[in-house]
Amino acid sequence: MIRRNNVTVAGRPDGPVMLFAHGFGCDQDVWRPLLPYFAQDYKLVLFDHVGAGNSDVDAYNREKYGSLDGYAADLLEICDALGLENVTVMAHSVSAMIAVIAAGQDPGPFSDLIMIAPSPRYTDDPAEGYVGGFSREDIEGLLASLDSNYFVWAASLAPMVMGNPQDPGLSDSLRDSFCRTNPSVAQHFARVTFFSDTRQELKRVRTRSLILQCTDDLLAPPEVGKYLNDNLTRSTLVHLQATGHCPHISSPADTAAAIRRHLDDRT
Amino acid sequence: MTSSAGPGLPDFQAWFQQAPCGYLIADDAGRIEAVNDTFLSWSGYSRPDLRGLRVQDLMPVGDQILYSTHCIPQLNIAGAVSELAVEIIGADRKRRAALLSAARFPASGEQRGSVGIIIFSAHERRLYEKELVSALRAAEVSESRRASAEKELHRLALHDRLTGLLNRAGLEAKLDQLLAAHDGRGRSLAALYIDLDHFKAVNDSLGHAAGDELLVAVAGRIKSAALGTSTIARLSGDEFIVVDSFQSTQAATAQAAGLLETLRTPVLLGGLEVVISASIGVAVVAEEAETIEELVRRADIALYRAKASGGNQWELHRPTEADPTADRLRTVGELRNGISDGALRVYYQPRVHLRSGAVDGVESLVRWQHPTRGLLAPSEFIGIAEDSGLVRPLGAWVLDETLRQAERWRKQDPATGELQYAVNLSARQLNDPELVRMVERALQARQMDPARLLLEITETALMTDPEAALSSLTDLKDLGVGLAVDDFGTGYSSLTYLKKFPVDELKIDRSFIAGLGLEAGDAAIVASCIDLAHAVGIRAVAEGVETPEQAEALIAMGCDLAQGYYYAQPLPAPLLKAWLDANSKDGLVAEP
Repeated sequence: MIRRNNVTVAGRPDGPVMLFAHGFGCDQDVWRPLLPYFAQDYKLVLFDHVGAGNSDVDAYNREKYGSLDGYAADLLEICDALGLENVTVMAHSVSAMIAVIAAGQDPGPFSDLIMIAPSPRYTDDPAEGYVGGFSREDIEGLLASLDSNYFVWAASLAPMVMGNPQDPGLSDSLRDSFCRTNPSVAQHFARVTFFSDTRQELKRVRTRSLILQCTDDLLAPPEVGKYLNDNLTRSTLVHLQATGHCPHISSPADTAAAIRRHLDDRT
Repeated sequence: MTSSAGPGLPDFQAWFQQAPCGYLIADDAGRIEAVNDTFLSWSGYSRPDLRGLRVQDLMPVGDQILYSTHCIPQLNIAGAVSELAVEIIGADRKRRAALLSAARFPASGEQRGSVGIIIFSAHERRLYEKELVSALRAAEVSESRRASAEKELHRLALHDRLTGLLNRAGLEAKLDQLLAAHDGRGRSLAALYIDLDHFKAVNDSLGHAAGDELLVAVAGRIKSAALGTSTIARLSGDEFIVVDSFQSTQAATAQAAGLLETLRTPVLLGGLEVVISASIGVAVVAEEAETIEELVRRADIALYRAKASGGNQWELHRPTEADPTADRLRTVGELRNGISDGALRVYYQPRVHLRSGAVDGVESLVRWQHPTRGLLAPSEFIGIAEDSGLVRPLGAWVLDETLRQAERWRKQDPATGELQYAVNLSARQLNDPELVRMVERALQARQMDPARLLLEITETALMTDPEAALSSLTDLKDLGVGLAVDDFGTGYSSLTYLKKFPVDELKIDRSFIAGLGLEAGDAAIVASCIDLAHAVGIRAVAEGVETPEQAEALIAMGCDLAQGYYYAQPLPAPLLKAWLDANSKDGLVAEP
């Protein structure tokens, strides 16, 4: 399991646990900018979803990972295998909903869910008056786009970039492996992610949660953040100045500050 | 962007504008700040159109998602993305296939952060890649179809199509796992072997579709009555098995009793309420080393006993019990040899006219001179002969032997030419398409008047499939032979058929004759059988007449013929001839 999900542990060994769950299109390296803000005080547990990064691609089973439940089961297994308790889950994008499913099934290990740019459903649901931001055709377009990038995804194992003289701090190995994803898995994960509907799971969650809503996020419009806040029992909605879908990358300092404020509030 | 060309170096500003690919320069947040002429002429935009937009704003939604979720993180963390396949929507709203590479230059000192983007038109390459990918996808789909077809085949191979339960192969596969996982811990594995009583009758009278429906209903009931942990399979036809681990032998037999109870509730089949019952054989693992096959076989032995005791009950197999299955198998082998080695004998029992006492004929009854068990009556081997199919050669042999004997007697004593020879036909023979030809050949071989041959078929055999029986009987009748309904009163004759069947006599079952003078009911039944026979214009014959009182009563009721120990027991040929000689002086039988 540790190998399956390429689990790595960093930070303060005796600190409270922070478990980082990356979103679609990435792997655990995506947390790199955010880690320094928590490494002093927290034990940091990172992993790759099966099919992403350095996870065991052979463990990818289309049936198990045909819904977010399979990923939620992995999340619970990681907590169980490492004996994690009072876990603060840092979950980006689709992983926020994977954490919602896991916490709904077994709230035991979790103390806080930090949801970065989450959405319980990406497609609109006019019958329910729900705005997710995308139509089915949009998502089909994404799947087609992923297909178009089949060779790029495969080739990202050995990228053709000629280096970046201004950023010598990056190791070659990181560049080689960043967001490495089996293209067929990426296609399937995209389908599962962007056609998922986790709205019914929200009411089962009793764990405290923080919703970080970004400015101008294509994947999570403001209506989605509000919907989540209205439908989760112990949630706080915070709007970030950071733009785009990945505030932990584009504005790690602001993002970390918002998370710290929230965590320090718990008394 | 300033021209910083030194002496002798090209003009970088001009080179930037005229480069053979599109260049865009964006700020750290991705907003476009500068763009070259090549990009403008390729996309159709003007500079003011693009200012302040992000490069992903020029892409369709799908590409935007990919750019946001994958490229931006990669640009930020790895510093570059290369050859991303995207589409750029031009000023004319048409999509243009392109490859995008980008590098990020983070802020340092005075220098603001920026992103440099190169865009190549990639129309041809994208077409080519699309073809490759669609071929790849097609291969993946057919592979996954093959895999799922294989999975389905595997499932089918292990499951019974009709009820969805495991089949025999599925049971074996499952039980191997079960046995391996069985840890004992005070519980014992037990097998409950279930067989429906009289399922064939339902199948025959209501049709196979109804029979199937019944099996599905029974499977459902077994499933609902069995424990959730049970392994349930349909082995064949109406045979089911339930295997589970039980706390005790009592718990296993209690489960069997519960199953019997559940199965007793009537089933609705096409609006008809059908009452069914079952028999169950129970076997509990006796020793550590016992195999599943052994366990199931012992349950089958117990089932056989439950059936033999009348059905609608369970029986528990005790490990010391002898094995009738093995006995049966051995017997089949011995009987097969017996038929070919001349170990069969025909005994003849006289039939007499009740009023006159005159001999009417004889019934041929087969005996088997068994090598170790002595002379066996038909009841000891006819069932086995029926089940194994040996009844055909056996029946053919009896017929031929009877006719051979008749021919010999006729040559010795022409008076015996008047005797009628009754020979039994089994249900299996009746269904044999060769039957009529076999009888015809046998008659011709011995130059026998067909009218001197009487074929007896049991009522049960006739009523299993009355339509088929009617057709066989008609063909036999056309040969000119006589036909009799044997063991009449034990089956469920439909009067309609009885009228249609071209038969010449009803033989009233011996069990009713035995009750004459003892049971008022039996007397009434015998009387109605006689009346019935006469009503349809055929003879009534009483079997098993043993006392003068019975003979008296039958005469009073108007019965035509009789046979039984009161007149003579079945006799081997020489003794029968002697009996005939002694008793048919002047065609009359002396009072015994």
